[in-house]
Amino acid sequence: MHSDTTGSWTPVALSADLPAGTVIPARISAGSIALWRSESGRLSASADRCPHRGMSLSHGFVRGEALSCIYHGWSYAQGGNCIRIPAHPGLTPPETIRARTFAVEEAGGVIWVAADETETKPPVLEGLTPLRSMTTDAGISAIETAAGTKASAEGLIEPAGGTLCLLVSARNDGQTLIHVLLKGETSPADRIAASREAESLRRAAEDLQKKGIAS
Amino acid sequence: MKLYDYILSPSCYKVRLMAALSGVSLDIRPVDFHPGLEHRGPELLALNPAGSIPILQDGDLILTESSAILVYLAAKAGPEWLASDKPEEAARVQQWLSFSGRLTASLGGARLHEMLLRPGDIDALQRQGVAALRELELGLVEQAERGMRFLAADRPTVADIACFPYVALAPDGGVSLDAYPAIRLWSRRLRSLDRFIEMPGVHRLHELKAEPTVEESKV
Amino acid sequence: MSMQAMIDEWYPVGIAAQLDTAGRNTLLMGEPIVVATDADGQAKVTGGNGRTLPVRIRYGHVWTSLGEPKKEVFPIPEADQPGRRYVDVGVVRVRCSPLRAVENFLDIAHFPFVHTDILGAEPHTEVQSYKVEIREDVDEVWATQVKFYQPQAAKSASGGITTEYMYRVPAPTCSVLYKTCPPRPSEWDVITLFVQPLTEELCDVWPWMALFDDDTPMTDLIHFQQTIFLQDRSILENQIPRLLPLDPGMEIPTRADLTSVAYRRWLKRHNYTYGAQLVAQ
Repeated sequence: MHSDTTGSWTPVALSADLPAGTVIPARISAGSIALWRSESGRLSASADRCPHRGMSLSHGFVRGEALSCIYHGWSYAQGGNCIRIPAHPGLTPPETIRARTFAVEEAGGVIWVAADETETKPPVLEGLTPLRSMTTDAGISAIETAAGTKASAEGLIEPAGGTLCLLVSARNDGQTLIHVLLKGETSPADRIAASREAESLRRAAEDLQKKGIAS
Repeated sequence: MKLYDYILSPSCYKVRLMAALSGVSLDIRPVDFHPGLEHRGPELLALNPAGSIPILQDGDLILTESSAILVYLAAKAGPEWLASDKPEEAARVQQWLSFSGRLTASLGGARLHEMLLRPGDIDALQRQGVAALRELELGLVEQAERGMRFLAADRPTVADIACFPYVALAPDGGVSLDAYPAIRLWSRRLRSLDRFIEMPGVHRLHELKAEPTVEESKV
Repeated sequence: MSMQAMIDEWYPVGIAAQLDTAGRNTLLMGEPIVVATDADGQAKVTGGNGRTLPVRIRYGHVWTSLGEPKKEVFPIPEADQPGRRYVDVGVVRVRCSPLRAVENFLDIAHFPFVHTDILGAEPHTEVQSYKVEIREDVDEVWATQVKFYQPQAAKSASGGITTEYMYRVPAPTCSVLYKTCPPRPSEWDVITLFVQPLTEELCDVWPWMALFDDDTPMTDLIHFQQTIFLQDRSILENQIPRLLPLDPGMEIPTRADLTSVAYRRWLKRHNYTYGAQLVAQ
């Protein structure tokens, strides 16, 4: 990530991939997170670990305004505090039971999560429409080489002469997350072509990575 | 209709799932695949010399390929699960039915290796599994652009049922599904269908049922 | 991690009825071992450097040890009662700590969410008080009077019943569950979880049962137990950390988890820490 301008914000997912009432796994520099949207549409990000038995919360389920762990059904509110322990239906869970939460912002169809406390806002990406997200084993420099251009301060790679724009962020597991964005008005046929073009770029970047050309 | 079935087999699950969704009742004959290797025994080899399950027996019809069984169940009880007469749709159904065989070979092989200790080149199986998942993800992205929520149409077909089980159970074989948002949305759509049934490793979507209140839970 | 305390324990390494001369190449606590039959058809376990390891055949399985066991394989007196059927459920590999696999087996609160409509179902989620103790005379963890409402408690159950359980931990990676036996209310079904620690984060699990059930076909009994365990497997592979944390600050138990609390305390007391995380990281 290009920390000078995006601060601690990471573009973790596209809005369209997280409908109301669902939870998905994501990654930021602080580790794995469970990113979820309540039935009423409120976004939350919490550490991907239930404090009870360490189960990954992104395997859980969203009912109403709470995220529940799949293992024992412990439920967490948007603020990360535990609000229900099904094994003890009459118990009000103590305030001390909570999952760590992170700031979330959604703009232009992209969901950003901050790893640390921050006063900043994520960058605004003008005139770009999200298409899809993909991950790659290639690093950012291999993607830059494959695309024939460098990433901007916001992490945008714009190959020349097309509608395609890649928003890239390096993850601490060695993979790179790519959000494929499109410039201007596009038809479904344009979008299908752009999706295939992004796949070709990924293939090229992974070939470069494998051959050790990118450093 | 008699199904020679193994509860942990994703291919057998395809058949159970299709039957549940189309309202067919099956006479289940459990096969001791693990640890007993009954599918390699004389009784089952007589039915299916390939030594694989599922096997569907209906009168004198014996089917041993899961895609063929899905088509048979759908034709009998749920024609809306088959392709319409649109050439593109019919071809897409065939495309994904064939593709599902690659999911079985890659993700299924990795799962058998990682879970039931069957032999195999695990790195190659997982790599092929990832390649297949990427193809499926791309296919679903393109379908979404065409305004279609499923693999061959805007409604689920036998093609979706053929592909879903090995994909949903990919993590059993050490292949993560985290990187495939279109697959996740598609999988959720299938799991939300009326009369959908699970198999071990595919958990219930508990959110489909309202949270019981404390008063009710004291019953 | 310390291997020493656990090295003198017995571990399951194969199904006795499935041994052959070709052998099973596997791992025990990181050491490559071969489990096979010798020329006389007797079970033989060979360690990494070619040394012959001690062997016992108990409860349908082959048991061995890398050290010098001070006791025999723990007794299950009920298993020797006449009229029981023995079920070799078969091995399942899980990418988790062997201790996490046992702890999950001791837990009932997950039934409604993980074994939905079989061992539990909402809204019947409440875990009533039960008794837990470390029995000093036998040096085992015991939980008794564990009761839970189950929609389909066993293959032989035809509807929902409140099932009573007793749990025993007689060895660090083994647990025995005694459970209401629908066809014979005065007896207990015996359901075990024998865990072979391959490494600290990888195990082969060998469930085994000794049941009073003359009617259910053997394959159905195997499939019922495999169903239950495979529902658990996806949980076990997604717990963080993979090792079982023994640091009390790392995970939060409630009253429903008293068996697990006692199990962790017992592990710590005996320095049974292969597969455990002692200090939070």
